[in-house]
Amino acid sequence: MSRRFNRDTATSAGFFLALGLAWEYGVRWSGVQSYLLPPPSAILGELWTSRGAILSQSLVTLTEVFWGFLIAVALGVPIAALIYFSPTAKRTVYPLFVALQSIPKIGLAPLIVVWCGYGLASKLIMAFLFAFFPIIIATLGGLASTPAHLDEHFRALRASPMQSFWRLRVPAALPSFLDGCKVAMPLAVIGAVVGEFVGSNDGLGNLILTASGSGHTTLTFAALIAVTVLSLLLFYGVAYWERFIWWRAA
Amino acid sequence: MKSVISLSGAGKLFGGRQVLQDVSAEIGAAEFVSILGPSGCGKSTLLRLIAGLVPFEEGRIRFGGADVTAPTAEMGFVFQTSNLLPWRNVRDNLLLGVDLDPQARRPDEAAFAALVETLGLTGFETSYPSELSGGMRHRVAIGQALARNPQVLLMDEPFGALDALTRDRLNVELLRIWQRDRKTVLLVTHSISEAVLLSDRVLVMSERPGTIIEDVRIDMPRPRDPSATREDPAFGDYVVRLSKLMGVA
Repeated sequence: MSRRFNRDTATSAGFFLALGLAWEYGVRWSGVQSYLLPPPSAILGELWTSRGAILSQSLVTLTEVFWGFLIAVALGVPIAALIYFSPTAKRTVYPLFVALQSIPKIGLAPLIVVWCGYGLASKLIMAFLFAFFPIIIATLGGLASTPAHLDEHFRALRASPMQSFWRLRVPAALPSFLDGCKVAMPLAVIGAVVGEFVGSNDGLGNLILTASGSGHTTLTFAALIAVTVLSLLLFYGVAYWERFIWWRAA
Repeated sequence: MKSVISLSGAGKLFGGRQVLQDVSAEIGAAEFVSILGPSGCGKSTLLRLIAGLVPFEEGRIRFGGADVTAPTAEMGFVFQTSNLLPWRNVRDNLLLGVDLDPQARRPDEAAFAALVETLGLTGFETSYPSELSGGMRHRVAIGQALARNPQVLLMDEPFGALDALTRDRLNVELLRIWQRDRKTVLLVTHSISEAVLLSDRVLVMSERPGTIIEDVRIDMPRPRDPSATREDPAFGDYVVRLSKLMGVA
């Protein structure tokens, strides 16, 4: 088992090492200018020398994503429950959100900057907009996935509607809800970065924009890596909760 | 014998279609009665009517003298699928019905341990349904109904999905529990031999619209067990008679 694991890890590590080396020496030998494609060594160096700026800008983006995502969950879950339980909401609120979802959110970004300014609010709203719909859909799907035979079982046991909701529907919906969160979290990062592109003096998106605008390509790459790492960390931060709803496969 | 469940002219329509028609029967206290019928005859629906799970249009169904309008704590329902909650362990699944129903009596520790023992689940109290075999899950499902200590046990083909050996074992356990607790049991099944093996009476139902066409008393000694009872010539006679009634022989 562990020997197998070591060999698999070695295979992956070897592959990525080879890829990095090919990039490094390919760039050096081919004479591609470093403002077009810097070698990995330069990018790693940049990550280290600009660590202060990258960390502080990451913190800005993280704050936007965190609040945007949290508000998406805080609003998305009750709205999904409303749509699930109220036929009227299903005919009114639900199509409204489907229609709103169809608007390209990138196109909304300038408008939101006009409305909410260059501060935290506009980016938070962008992160929220990207994350909101997947959470509604996943929660809705989770609630609807409650097996009908368990519903009847709860009636036979004389469970009240509230008991059926908290003891049956909520736990049955959790796996799907978490899947929605896993989709929504990286989307929230994209939303925040797009918001920063359009109107911001801060954040990793802004760093990417200003670095590439001034021909500082290594910093652009370094900032891109920071966004990727941030997104991955947030994703695994959500995936961590899966261990608490292990019944998903049952 | 004093009847616990009484049906008079009960009928059910699903979207204008007659599913059950003029069903009348009396089920006495501590009786073990099977409802036998071809698939689609409405026997599961009939059990749901008695349980108060499904409303009906025609006739009357009474439990302990009162009309059935909603599920009561005095009737425990065991479903075809074992219906366990995957996020609750065996202990919590057994006590689910007690947890949900404020009127249900919670068994004390000794009674609960005895129940677990009877079901052959000792040592599995903290296991989750995904860790149990199919037969064990059904035992938990039966235990869940028993934990509320109901007067009546309504069972809807509870062993239908199990292999013959597991089915026999659970039948033995069911007989033992019934013999000890003397509960009224109403079992829906499509297995003729299972009905004969377990029951005091077998109510045979017709094709849809379902109604009771024959009430067969099974006069065989108790306690019964699968192998000995099946060797009894009377067993074969009952099986043949019921098969003829169901139109399979």
